[in-house]
Amino acid sequence: MKVLATYSIKGGVGKTTTAVNLAQQAAASGSRVLLWDLDPQGAATFFVRVKPSVKGGVERLVSKAGSLAANIHATDDPAVHIVPADFSLRHLDLALDNTKHPTRRLAALLEPIADRYDVALLDCAPGITLTSESVFGAADALIVPTIPTTLSERTVDQLTGFLSEHPPAPMVLPFASMLDRRKRLQRDIVAHLMADVAGFLPTAIPNASVIEQMGIQRSPIADFAPNSPATLAYRRLWADIAARIWS
Amino acid sequence: MLRRSSVEGDSVACLVDPASNSMWPQRFGVLGGDRDVDLGAGQSSAGFDRQIRCNVDDANTHLDGFVLGEVALPDVGAGAEPFDTRDVGQDELAFGLDGHANSMGRPDATFDALVLVSTFQVPEHDTTAAIASIAQFGFVFGPRRTVTTTLVDTFDGRLHRAGLRLELRTSEGTELVLSGQDVVPAHLSVDAVPRVLTDLPPGPFRSRVASLIDVRALLPQVRVRMERSAGVWRDGTGKTVAIAELYENVHIINRPDIDRATTIEIHEVPGYAERIRRARTVLRGVGLEQCGLDTLAQCAAAADVDLAGFKAAATVPLEPDMAALDGIRAVLANLEVAIAANWQGAIDQTDTKFLHDLRIALRRTRTVIAASKSVVPAEVLGPAREGFAWLAGATGAARDLDVYLLEWKRYTDPLGVQAAVALEPVRDVLARHHADAHLGLGHVLGSERAAALIAEWRGWLAEPVSNESLPRRAGHPLGKVAAKRIARAHDALIDQGRLIGPDTPADDVHDLRKDAKKLRYLIECFSSMLPDKPRKKYVKQLKALQENLGEHQDAEVHIKLLSFLTPELDAAGADTNLMVAVGQLIQRLGQTRVAARSEFAERFADYDSPATRRSFDSLIEAIAT
Repeated sequence: MKVLATYSIKGGVGKTTTAVNLAQQAAASGSRVLLWDLDPQGAATFFVRVKPSVKGGVERLVSKAGSLAANIHATDDPAVHIVPADFSLRHLDLALDNTKHPTRRLAALLEPIADRYDVALLDCAPGITLTSESVFGAADALIVPTIPTTLSERTVDQLTGFLSEHPPAPMVLPFASMLDRRKRLQRDIVAHLMADVAGFLPTAIPNASVIEQMGIQRSPIADFAPNSPATLAYRRLWADIAARIWS
Repeated sequence: MLRRSSVEGDSVACLVDPASNSMWPQRFGVLGGDRDVDLGAGQSSAGFDRQIRCNVDDANTHLDGFVLGEVALPDVGAGAEPFDTRDVGQDELAFGLDGHANSMGRPDATFDALVLVSTFQVPEHDTTAAIASIAQFGFVFGPRRTVTTTLVDTFDGRLHRAGLRLELRTSEGTELVLSGQDVVPAHLSVDAVPRVLTDLPPGPFRSRVASLIDVRALLPQVRVRMERSAGVWRDGTGKTVAIAELYENVHIINRPDIDRATTIEIHEVPGYAERIRRARTVLRGVGLEQCGLDTLAQCAAAADVDLAGFKAAATVPLEPDMAALDGIRAVLANLEVAIAANWQGAIDQTDTKFLHDLRIALRRTRTVIAASKSVVPAEVLGPAREGFAWLAGATGAARDLDVYLLEWKRYTDPLGVQAAVALEPVRDVLARHHADAHLGLGHVLGSERAAALIAEWRGWLAEPVSNESLPRRAGHPLGKVAAKRIARAHDALIDQGRLIGPDTPADDVHDLRKDAKKLRYLIECFSSMLPDKPRKKYVKQLKALQENLGEHQDAEVHIKLLSFLTPELDAAGADTNLMVAVGQLIQRLGQTRVAARSEFAERFADYDSPATRRSFDSLIEAIAT
């Protein structure tokens, strides 16, 4: 099982929509996917219509007797399961801090189910916290949505800088998120990022209203707009990622 | 009180204490049928070694729990002590019980979410009533669509044996579905029906299939056309919580003689087990009969398709004190089944394993025939020896070229991209020779001589043996005869091996390899009466020697073939780059040959050791006396 995490230091960059749509795309290309919602907002959980619930709360989940299997729910895609979030995840840092090896705890929770899924996709809350360090300890790659602003490169640099000081570091796969192609500056920034930032993926996800509709439709966009440019972009993005991961 | 629901046959339900990793024997019982059964204290049964599924609930609390795993349960009677479950298979998960938290003092509740399918047979006139009864729960059925589903597996049922099922579903599009018990289903859209691994796109789906099927082709096992209506039960948020699939007008393609009933399958959605329980109860309530197999498996069974496929066994049950002729005939008859099973696949080149397995069966047959002097009548032995030598010889070139092409990348990749590209014309030439060799093999296998040989052989194996004029050892105990032949083969291998030195010609090394193979075949063919432990130990030592000899011989054969092809390439106007690359390849193969040769002395010394002799002696002793 490959462990991927949609992660960014910044919030509001499209991590959750990326996680949900990539889970769908991975499943459509033959993978068995476990989506793990690690954000107390539970947006990924909401998008797949699953009740926000962590059995026994987050303390129970990360404790020695905790089990991901106990929290797994199917989504409407038979190849995508989810470990839903609830508001108790706001205490995840604290709960991890009470464990013996906090930065290895998420990896340890994933290990017993590693042969059941091909991909575990962790949807993370923003920031660099103890939870993110535990994510870094579990992930093979970080999928980093990067909005095309002048500070974006700096954000990616901050992340890679942090990771280089905390080995072993997962692969970092940034990509352009929420791109408004009408704006020349954004196009230029994305071109610059793709050319200059190591590992930057060649597919950009557009800033499309169809993505916003996910909140109303409560499903990945491929389910209600299968031929939209955004769906096709997520398909290409997954192909980019798969090529890096399984090459 | 605990209760559980079973979907198939007898099984065992149990409670597991996640803290102590032990079960409470007073809380498990043997269950049968699909009904809730109270598990009273002390119900038990001895000697279970099977899959268990548990679905535990109580009067007030439903726990969505399933445990699945191979479990060896000791004979536990009423009041026995809790037993350790550490032997339980990897997939088994301990689960605590919310509903029993107080009484057991275990507030922990975990469960393993698995997909469960319940299949009901629907009498034709009851279809509407059945649909109506579950529709009132909230199942909304979509339009009826014609679906053709092909169950695909290898000739030897590798996916089935691994607990997986690969279906090719064709409706509005074509998709592959890889599923199984305790397996999250994977879906992959495909443009064409995959036959070999490389027909699948790279990725996890292919990797999972690859690890099981290797070079084997994917073959259709059973094809079913049916009209499918999917019913979805959604909760208030629109989330699917259970799925019902109605299959009507089910036809097994090419088997019009088989009628299939309408079925309803209820598919559990992991995490929502309660809904499926209610749906099952309703269907049972309207008098539908639950089946042990799902719709597709029922079709396979009705069409007499053994999903486990064909798997050749080298040996058959043998006893050391049975008559040698009877034992040897049983072994040869078993090998004949393998020859017949792989014959057509080798002609059609369905996959390279058919020819490989055919060759193995022919070689084993030849080895046993050669060891049957004075046991099998000479008038049978002589023609069989000659006939099978001819047949086995005819398979050699095709198999060598199969191996060459299969191993091509392994040979050329280390030479670098440039050389690998330059060598492409060589691969083309090899492919042409490969096609010719298989054509020749096809002619031999399709010849009258081959048909007569096999018919005669099969006839002798099937006919009752006359007790008149049998060879002198025909009635001797099989154990003694086999022990003597195996010992002779072992001694020959030791004697010949000791003669091999650094300058020994390659042909002599090849002869030694053949001796090692003969010995291995004899051990395999008579393995059912040999003690397991010393046999495995001895075969491990023999195998290490064989690997070394095999590596040497493969390199030798391929160097000879390349040297043979070089004038052909030259005559065809091969450029300098190609000839240089050929030289590099020969050099590399030469290095492999030299390395294998220099390692031989050490490997042989390991084999020709007192430890090997001891395992051999204990192997033989068991049947020689």
